[in-house]
Amino acid sequence: MGTTELLQFALAGLKNGSIYALVALGFTLVYAATGVINFAQGEFYMLGGMLSVWAYADLGLPLPLAALVGVAATALVGIVFELTAIRQRKDGDPLALIIITVGGSMLLSSLARHLFGPNERALPLFSGGGNVSVAGAVLEVQTIWIVGITAVSVAGLWYLYNRTALGRAMRACAVNRDAARIVGIDTRLMVTVSFVLAATLGALAGLAVTPLTQTAFDVGPSVGIKGFAAAILGGLGNPIAAVVGGLVLGMLESLSIAFISSTYKDAIALIVLLGVLFVRPQGLLGRSGREKV
Amino acid sequence: MRRTRIASAIVVLAMIATAFTGCAGSNGASQPDDAIRIGAVLSLTGPYAGLGEPERRAIELEVERINAEGGVNGREVEVLFEDDGTDEARAVAAASRLIEQEGVVALIGASGTGQSMAMRQEAERGGVAQVSLAGGSVITDQFNPWVFQTPWPNRVVVPFILGEMRAAGVERLALIADSGGYGKDGRDATMAVIDRFGMEVVADEQFNRGDTDMTGQLTKIRSAEPDAILMWAAGAEAATILKNHDSLTGMDVLPVYGGPGNARVELLEGAGSAAEGFQLAAGHILVPEAYGPGTEAYEVATGFIGRFTDRYGVAPDIFAGHAYDAIHLLVDAMRRLPEEFTSSDLRDELERTEGFVAVGGTFTFTPTDHNGLSEDDLSFYRVVDGTWALAGEAR
Repeated sequence: MGTTELLQFALAGLKNGSIYALVALGFTLVYAATGVINFAQGEFYMLGGMLSVWAYADLGLPLPLAALVGVAATALVGIVFELTAIRQRKDGDPLALIIITVGGSMLLSSLARHLFGPNERALPLFSGGGNVSVAGAVLEVQTIWIVGITAVSVAGLWYLYNRTALGRAMRACAVNRDAARIVGIDTRLMVTVSFVLAATLGALAGLAVTPLTQTAFDVGPSVGIKGFAAAILGGLGNPIAAVVGGLVLGMLESLSIAFISSTYKDAIALIVLLGVLFVRPQGLLGRSGREKV
Repeated sequence: MRRTRIASAIVVLAMIATAFTGCAGSNGASQPDDAIRIGAVLSLTGPYAGLGEPERRAIELEVERINAEGGVNGREVEVLFEDDGTDEARAVAAASRLIEQEGVVALIGASGTGQSMAMRQEAERGGVAQVSLAGGSVITDQFNPWVFQTPWPNRVVVPFILGEMRAAGVERLALIADSGGYGKDGRDATMAVIDRFGMEVVADEQFNRGDTDMTGQLTKIRSAEPDAILMWAAGAEAATILKNHDSLTGMDVLPVYGGPGNARVELLEGAGSAAEGFQLAAGHILVPEAYGPGTEAYEVATGFIGRFTDRYGVAPDIFAGHAYDAIHLLVDAMRRLPEEFTSSDLRDELERTEGFVAVGGTFTFTPTDHNGLSEDDLSFYRVVDGTWALAGEAR
């Protein structure tokens, strides 16, 4: 196998990995704020693409505006979902909340099925067609968008977490919710904010991918599972770990296509995931549970 | 307290009584004076919803017309729809409910190969004919006297495509297939006959439903230096494959071929300019001229296309055509029967169908062939300027 082909596989891994990273970030943010895995995360990915297509094709908005509408509307769905479903469960029992998110996931995809129909729908490429040649390998311009959106989101999130009062409050909430409440942080608000951010990140991923793959009401769960695996692989609760987990998972899949078989790429990625968790149950970059206490 | 207990006992008894009367009415026989009931198990939700929806529309449209023209031997036809959610277990439950509680005389469905295979045990147990709308070869290869099939099975499609590819000089073939039912069936059917065409499979790649990127598989395919790619993908992934393939294409153009599962408007919309030059085998319905203007098949198909387009604002796809064929094959068989018949009479009569001109082709069933279509019912298409065009002469 030549270096050009190897580079091509690496680029494919980077592209898929960026998508997984954005979805994984959503899982991790909600987990940090609530201690709960949000199984509706994949649906935010679906809605980001679907609502943008709706704004573009059905409302006839120009693409940049349609993308903005799609992402903003998904963020709104995130708020409504948190306020009406998550917040109502006052005791915050994790098991109950997880089941609520599973139900929310089904509800959102059924609604999308009835509102937008059963078929896949397309969105044009952000900046027309065209490719860039990287040392002989081909890089689709849309891939640059995908990786760029991921990079900007991660940078924005880093800034929010490390340089703003809101971010510090969110981190405090993640470390110890009761202590955060005692020092005057509105922990409920932090949960809502985490859902908004998760929905926005999921929507951005869905939006960036739709020009290449089209979208449909049922695309959420498969991407959701990949994002969840990436979040676990990196270490739940840590945004940087989610990104690392996403990129590693994307590369693993791509390399197993290159060197082993495309038939088993998901299986191979999962075996590696299990292997990593066996050695490091807290994930690649996660802190061990004991430290938390 | 005691009164409520008595009341609930009465309610329970009433429910049991209705249940029994329900059973009594469903002995599979069709009595005159009431409507003839046919069950349709379709994927109206889930991954195959894009197939089930046009199928439901075609059946509703045609049943209305059949009834407006006086029904079957003076009796109305009623089709009861059940959604299987693209799920095998739900398809079985739906089939069983339709047979036992609704007393249908025949079943149409399911939309998918897996669901069709799952519900056939119910059709056989209930003694009603099942007309499947799915294209997997297994449906009629693993022969069951109660099961019929309207789409072209892959055992007919594959030799047709390979013949065209061979004629175009393809010797080294690369496969990319959906790891699910349709892709696996197409891949296996290709592997089974590839030697007969003097061709060789140099790359055999797979993908999963929902995969967002195929450049990995395509890069591997390109490094195997094939003459052409044959893809078995019925869903949205087909457009992704064409797009990724298009962006990887440098100077050398590597042609891509596909099957009837790709004959969807969504593919053209999704792949855009990347679909240009894509070639596929499908029925004549995509370009009705393929039927041969003036023939009975042409009149039947253009009539259906016109009615469907008038009602729904979109042209029918191949899946709507499969549903048209299923309902009309059943109605045609029932018209040949006396006014009163059993579901088993209907199966026997359906098997005697000979030269019935429909949308998917001209159907002739025999006791060993419950599909009855041939390569004559297929055309070869090429995407030109964002739409289907006949590639050379229709055979």
